[in-house]
Amino acid sequence: MTRRAAMLIVWLASALLPAPLRGWARAMSAETSAIDRPWPALLFALGCLGGALREALRFHLLGPAEGGASAPPGSEPPMPSPTSLLDRPRHLAAFCAVAATGLGFAYMTAAGAPVRYLVMNGAALTLGLLIVAALARTPRPGRVGRGAIGLALAAALLLVGLLGVSADGATRWISVGGLVLQPGLFLIPALALAFARSSDRISLLAILVAAAAVALQPDRAMAGALVAGMAGLALARPSRAALAALAAAAAAFAVTLVRADASPAMPFVDQIFYSSFSVHPLAGAAVLAGAALMLVPALIGVARDQDRRAVYATFGAVWLAVILAAALGNYPTPLVGYGGSAILGYLISLVALPPRTGVSVGAEREALTAEAGSESDTLYAALPARA
Amino acid sequence: MARNRSLSAQARNLLAVMAQGGSRWHHGYDLCRRAGIKSGTLYPLLIRLEEQGYLDAEWRAPAEPGRPARHAYRLTAAGLELALDNPPAAAQRPASGWSGKFA
Repeated sequence: MTRRAAMLIVWLASALLPAPLRGWARAMSAETSAIDRPWPALLFALGCLGGALREALRFHLLGPAEGGASAPPGSEPPMPSPTSLLDRPRHLAAFCAVAATGLGFAYMTAAGAPVRYLVMNGAALTLGLLIVAALARTPRPGRVGRGAIGLALAAALLLVGLLGVSADGATRWISVGGLVLQPGLFLIPALALAFARSSDRISLLAILVAAAAVALQPDRAMAGALVAGMAGLALARPSRAALAALAAAAAAFAVTLVRADASPAMPFVDQIFYSSFSVHPLAGAAVLAGAALMLVPALIGVARDQDRRAVYATFGAVWLAVILAAALGNYPTPLVGYGGSAILGYLISLVALPPRTGVSVGAEREALTAEAGSESDTLYAALPARA
Repeated sequence: MARNRSLSAQARNLLAVMAQGGSRWHHGYDLCRRAGIKSGTLYPLLIRLEEQGYLDAEWRAPAEPGRPARHAYRLTAAGLELALDNPPAAAQRPASGWSGKFA
């Protein structure tokens, strides 16, 4: 079990490293598997994860190393690249997701979680990244098509409340081949962000249906996330549609507050902001750092990309609410705790972020046309410019 | 000259351990133990050294059949020179018998 955890961690380290350093990822993996004793192998793998995180940060924030004997190890870092990670919100969010999930691995390993939990989170991370890559290559649907997709997703959420798996008076899960998922964790952020991107009538209708769905289930955390997202949107870009969506979400949240929600805390899923510190202070710090990382793309986006503050504000508000719900009640702790739904949800929601910051919408559209074939740009072109 | 600037204690220890081995190839885990550094420090250092031409790295066949190939490292001539120019501090010398001379 310990050896499997070591190999899983070193695999995550490999996933973190940028393409030019993949040879080093293989080196870490081979070296870990060559260590005979499992615990030293696990410690070695955890170190590799930290090193990979550091290298990935260096690569994305500062750009590829220039090399050359004039820059010895320990010398001053080069100037930041103009196309650093900070200018690529989707890449930044994906990086934060991988890093936060990795910190969750560290916590769960330290807390003695079953290896199956780590495998599940790793599988969700991989699947989520594949979904993001696939979505980024999907041709642009028309305006009506986008609204219809949103409405269908909201209706699916409504069906979960009617036909889903029930436990402790709540019906907010579905079972897929024995795997229990909480669709609200990926549908609510996606719907909130789709509405932030395009506040048309069909998207508003989708929000109203989604609000009814979370009230029906009931799901206080997701209702809170929807309220927070709509409040963030209304503050960043006030409009009648945003206020109507906020009112519907607030009403749904009020319903969930009135209805009983007595789900017990699940180990490694709920209440881990507190329980992780009883494992080890570093495990607690890993959990807090992972949660904080989830908000970094929104904070940086709001600060650097004034044109699209509404999207970043919605993204940040939704995930902040999910984190707060996990801190205040028995709701899943996203990314750092056990649970693939939140990992999938976070990754899917990042597709709503623009691929680049600091470019005016018109200029960006021209640039996107010129840069045909770029995966993330293709997707952004598929979304409305107004944000 | 930039090369004598701000080499960390861990980098100096690593260079010393590798320089002691001369042209011998080293493996990552062995370097961690002998230089007294964590893998999270080792690999960024190796990456930097290799990028800057101080390190040769290659895949080596396993010593025992059935084991995976391992990445192995040794200093280049420039790396040996860098190690000579940057010995470990007296209080932080690696435990493997650093003498200030390279084999």
